[in-house]
Amino acid sequence: MQLVFLGTDNLIQMSIYQILLLGSIVVPAMVSIVFYSGIGRDELILKKLAYFGFGFPFIAGIVLFLSFDGSNGAYCFEIFQPRMGLQKLKITFHLGLNGVSSPLFAMAGVVGLAAGLTAIHSGAERLRLYLALLLTMQAGLMGLFASIDLFFYYLFHEFALIPTFIMIGLWGGRDRRSIALEITIYLTLGALISLGGLVALNVMVDAEKFDFPSLSLALSDFALADSTQFKIFGLLLFGFGILVALFPFHTWAAKGYQCAPTSVSMLHAGVLKKFGLYGLIQIASPLLPDGALAWSPYLLWLALGNVIIVGFVAIAQNNLKSMVGYGSVMHMGYCFLGVAVCSPLGAGSGVMLMVAHGLSVSLMFLLSTYVYKRSGTFEMDEMGGLGKKTPVLSCFFVAATLATIGLPGFGNFWGEFGVFLSLGQNSDHHLFLFLAALGIILSAVFGLRAVAKIFYGKSSNSLIEHEKEHTICDLSLSEIFPAAVILSALLFLGLWPRGISDRIDYEIYSRYYHFNSSQSMSLPPCCLVKQGGQENNQTLSLFQEKSPVSKSSADE
Amino acid sequence: METETVLFSLLLLPLLSALVTLFFFRKRGNIASLLSVATSGGILVFSLFIIFNGENEVFHWQTTWLKMSEWELGFGFLIDAPARLLLFVVSFVGFLIHIFSLGYMADDESKARYFGGLSMFMFSMIGITIADNLIMIFVFWELVGFSSYLLIAHYFTTEEAAQASKKAFIVNRVGDFGFLIGIVLTYWAAGTVNLVELADLVDFDPTIVSTVLGLALACGFIGKSAQFPLHVWLPDAMAGPTPVSALIHAATMVAAGIYLLIRIEFMFTVQALSFFGVLGGVMGLYAGFCALVQRDIKKILAYSTLSQLGYMTAAFGLGIPGIALFHLMTHAFFKALMFLGSGSVIHACHHEQDIFKYGGLRKKMPVTALTFLVGVLAISGVNFLSGYFSKDAILLTAYNTNMPLFFLLYSGAILTAFYMFRLYFITFEGESRSDSASNAHENGALMTGPLILLSILSVFGGYHSLFPIAIVESLIPDIEMVAEMSNHLWMIVLGTFAWVIGAIAAKNLFGRVGDQDPLEQKLPIFFALCKSKLFIDEIYEFYVKRIQEPFVRFIEVMELLFISGLLVRGSAGVAGLFALIGKAFYVGKIHAYAFWFVAGTIGFLAYAVGLFGN
Repeated sequence: MQLVFLGTDNLIQMSIYQILLLGSIVVPAMVSIVFYSGIGRDELILKKLAYFGFGFPFIAGIVLFLSFDGSNGAYCFEIFQPRMGLQKLKITFHLGLNGVSSPLFAMAGVVGLAAGLTAIHSGAERLRLYLALLLTMQAGLMGLFASIDLFFYYLFHEFALIPTFIMIGLWGGRDRRSIALEITIYLTLGALISLGGLVALNVMVDAEKFDFPSLSLALSDFALADSTQFKIFGLLLFGFGILVALFPFHTWAAKGYQCAPTSVSMLHAGVLKKFGLYGLIQIASPLLPDGALAWSPYLLWLALGNVIIVGFVAIAQNNLKSMVGYGSVMHMGYCFLGVAVCSPLGAGSGVMLMVAHGLSVSLMFLLSTYVYKRSGTFEMDEMGGLGKKTPVLSCFFVAATLATIGLPGFGNFWGEFGVFLSLGQNSDHHLFLFLAALGIILSAVFGLRAVAKIFYGKSSNSLIEHEKEHTICDLSLSEIFPAAVILSALLFLGLWPRGISDRIDYEIYSRYYHFNSSQSMSLPPCCLVKQGGQENNQTLSLFQEKSPVSKSSADE
Repeated sequence: METETVLFSLLLLPLLSALVTLFFFRKRGNIASLLSVATSGGILVFSLFIIFNGENEVFHWQTTWLKMSEWELGFGFLIDAPARLLLFVVSFVGFLIHIFSLGYMADDESKARYFGGLSMFMFSMIGITIADNLIMIFVFWELVGFSSYLLIAHYFTTEEAAQASKKAFIVNRVGDFGFLIGIVLTYWAAGTVNLVELADLVDFDPTIVSTVLGLALACGFIGKSAQFPLHVWLPDAMAGPTPVSALIHAATMVAAGIYLLIRIEFMFTVQALSFFGVLGGVMGLYAGFCALVQRDIKKILAYSTLSQLGYMTAAFGLGIPGIALFHLMTHAFFKALMFLGSGSVIHACHHEQDIFKYGGLRKKMPVTALTFLVGVLAISGVNFLSGYFSKDAILLTAYNTNMPLFFLLYSGAILTAFYMFRLYFITFEGESRSDSASNAHENGALMTGPLILLSILSVFGGYHSLFPIAIVESLIPDIEMVAEMSNHLWMIVLGTFAWVIGAIAAKNLFGRVGDQDPLEQKLPIFFALCKSKLFIDEIYEFYVKRIQEPFVRFIEVMELLFISGLLVRGSAGVAGLFALIGKAFYVGKIHAYAFWFVAGTIGFLAYAVGLFGN
């Protein structure tokens, strides 16, 4: 199906998929422009427009996810406009999806829809401006995962980041001014450092275009020196790391999410934060393999800091929202571990976890707000016994908590398990495997403690007081819908991981071939048995003679 | 029909039932309960089809579930002899407990949640039974933990249930932590976690197996089967509804740990097996002493479950996995029977669980009393009942191969008879000691029916030749091996002595009791020691309250101090300092600027003439 547009001077032909891809960025952007401009006063029409603004990326995300064909390996639904951009700087407008970005793009659509619906029904003051900023953010998010060109990738990220600051400053909770300032300085610093890394890549590599395939092609002819790789990767690692709340640059996150309005927390923690990891997995590690390997030992320890130290801090929290915030930072540690092991398995599992984590953490933020609406507080000690009054909410909350702590059946499990598996691959990483796996206990402790404190037991006195003035009712349909959308996506990933793993695997494998050849991988004995015939048989029986440890003979 | 289609239906039927209940019958408890019982009936039919269909051959089928570079994960079914046995136990006992629940939970407010949870549990348990690889087992392993969490938390408004459910999940997670590491290490050691391929590989190259690897895998078993030191969750889990305790915390889920060991039997070295022997023997005795002094009827049964799980572990350690499985089966019958019996008593006495508030219930609830007595006789190892065959086979093997272990297990056997008869005498004999006991009535057929069926199985369950070969095939080699051992006659004498002495002692001590435990009056120090349970719970509580809590606070403060404070505020402070210094130059007085201008010029000239070197 082809649609024909008349451009300024030439005929632009686009397939329906390309229109969806472009539309997922343009539609929310246009709607937000309408909102900014002040045209139209009819609230109902504006609401419908907002639905459209959030609904279009969602539908586009799902349709493009389902019709993605990863078998040819390259980008799908490509839109290439060399005239838009700065050709002297090798910057071109180039959109498209590959195996890694397609699930993230769909995830951005899903979370965006849920966050948008929540915002529309939030009844916030100056709703018009609120929605306008949120739609700008949404346009940026869709654009960031759809960009092939690295400049636009960065540009879209800034598009999404700046409304975050404004929204925290205007609609945030307590101390919003100072927190907005802190988060702005922090994240701008991170963005600046990563920009430095990207610029260095642009300058140092003599590529035709500023995107991954061209850079990779150029580097295959002319590899960068180890020290250069080390420096550029360091810039990207810490720049992106700050944006993803890598330990010890994580303190902005919990504070910021605690203060930010729900929809912003959802979009930032769920989707925008994945920008950094996406950059590390898609760009930094495959382009700078020696840099990645050199940084790997340091990153492993820092990521462990995320898992263990931030995990303990999460246990100490009594405020529900800050617990969710710290919990999300903690699980980012697993993604970093996936990056740090420098193997296709680690990176691929990291991507799976990114997708699932984006869904689960935004669901947790959403549900915490639902809890807040009923209890009037985020302090968990002042709740209790809500399960009796709000069974549907507690059902969602338990499901979301279990998804977060990596119960099988939800997407997070596969990502976490894959990361553990990748840590086990190299015997140097076994210590990290052991320590990182402790995280499954830590997260169960704080997750289930929250469930017990909020929903089980008897109501606390302050909740009883609160109930005298407010009636506590269960979730309404408009509240259930966004939560159900996210939860179904999590269940889909949990039950049918191949839905995303195949395409991720394909893409990651083609990007991480360096690591396969440069690292000596010991072949497991099973492969020997499967591949080898008689000659392996002999070597194995030699082993047998050497070490007589064998199965028990107690039953003889 | 293809076998894998039946297996898929068997697996997905309860999941579907749970989902339908969740979406449509959340507020219609009666429909939900009937749906769930019908589902468990369907499970039984499918299971029997699977068991009798394959002509006792091993059935193995798999497809790819996930593929990520070197990680290939299959989704597959492995139906061999142990799987057929467990499938029978799970589906049959499960069905009876579902029917019992209809009566027991008739007046419950949240019946739908309960029955939905039961279906969820059946789904996960069947998953463990038929899974063909370790990762898939781990998936369902965690899911049974989740269902158990849900069902323990059924009465979640009570603080007890809230804490117990959390504790059960977290303690199981500790076990799963080791299990997970074991699976990961196995994957890279062998390149596969498929049970069939793994067995072939180990056969081919035994160096894959190591004691550490085996023990890491066994952590999963230690958590799920509530063995020392992760046993603390099981007694607390009695906060759930009684049929749940019967199904999950006695007959099936806790036994899944033993089943896991049997499935990966080839992964254990001799050292690992002797570890299991010691673990099982100690657990059998330790839990027996704990059971001796409990007042809560369900806690007594819970500790007795721990003790019997110890016997199964010891059997596995002795190298007779078939006998472990045999004891698993007979234990499922008589322990489910006794738990349901206790449920019947609790239901009749308006949720009173203190046995010293019962008494004289034999006359008021004759069916429950009689069937319960059958359970007591069976677990005590009374000759020619089901427990006698399985337990004495373990004792005999220990007697012939490992004398210290035999002493542990044999003392445990005497203890078992003693505390079980204590429970029986205090509950059913004598005079009623409370209003709720004197007004108790026998329950309806929905509850007594399963009791009668289970008591028949508790009597005849030990005669393996009465069962179809398809079910008990896995037991036969080890049973035949034990049958050929020496000292049979001696063992009969010893075994009989054990239960007779236990029963007589219990009769003398507890034949007539008041509100107080006579043992406490006669042996106060011993009683207090047993009551303390060696302070394991206190140690964990100490850890959580005095070590973990202060530690997380400490980490939180450190984070605030060093990262938020020193790093973030500090760098802001450095930037601010520069600003202050810069500000000092802008004093707004013309001679100050003139001064700096002159100083700058001199500095520049000095640089220009090379005063600072090159």
